[in-house]
Amino acid sequence: MIRLTFLLALVALGALIPLAFRLNGATAILFSFVGMPAMALALLLYGVYRWREGAFRAGVTQTRNG
Amino acid sequence: MTATRPLFAGPSGAHGVPWLHVLVFAAAVPAMVLLLLGLVRGGLPPALRAAGVLLPIAAYAFGGLLVLEGSKQVGFCGSCHVMRGFEESIRSTDGSLAAIHYGRGLVPHDEPCYTCHSGYGIWGTIGAKRAGVMHMVRTLTGRYELPITLRGKFDIDSCLNCHAFAPSFRAVEAHQDPDLQRQLVSRELGCTGMCHPAAHPERARTGGGAAS
Repeated sequence: MIRLTFLLALVALGALIPLAFRLNGATAILFSFVGMPAMALALLLYGVYRWREGAFRAGVTQTRNG
Repeated sequence: MTATRPLFAGPSGAHGVPWLHVLVFAAAVPAMVLLLLGLVRGGLPPALRAAGVLLPIAAYAFGGLLVLEGSKQVGFCGSCHVMRGFEESIRSTDGSLAAIHYGRGLVPHDEPCYTCHSGYGIWGTIGAKRAGVMHMVRTLTGRYELPITLRGKFDIDSCLNCHAFAPSFRAVEAHQDPDLQRQLVSRELGCTGMCHPAAHPERARTGGGAAS
């Protein structure tokens, strides 16, 4: 899953680079409708990955340890 | 200096560094290196994890700002086929109201579309951006009909924001007529058509060029 996350983030950044070279309707559409969803999905997947690793469950861990 | 370049135009880069472009690259390039490393290795070392998350987010934040600012440019509007006619018309001397404003320097030369078609204040900006997203959706899906027409009535506050307190505007006898003022403010009447030339020529609405 983490490789898919990196791949989606790379796709998102790939959609961003043409925009920085030349801003026009085509690159803005690419950025908005390919890059943005890819980046959102990558962040979501990364959040799920980290959650499964126990990253956001510090309180629960402390309770269990305690 | 050649005749095709505007007078008083400075050398390339005279208007400063295009910081938004630079910041996009400054965040995106190292982010891509980190992501490639993560893709190959199947993960990032803990020390680089924060950078691997924050740099792509920063790159997208700068990219978003770049789109928000850059989409005000007339060249951006005219880069889509359906709007090309309007851009050509504005830059011509076809007698349309938009061309007159552009030719006389009454609207900023780099943002003439945005100046007249975005409403006043922050809500005007938000409305213009929302409309811009819908323009992109319709361009992408091909869901538009030619000749294109303005959705709803034109907000004449865009005209009045500049003209209302201009002595030359207030001196015109017709503008002093209370009945006409009421009709204009209530949007029963527009500035163009009956009294002033059309904002854009019919030919521009079909994606074609300006009338010669």
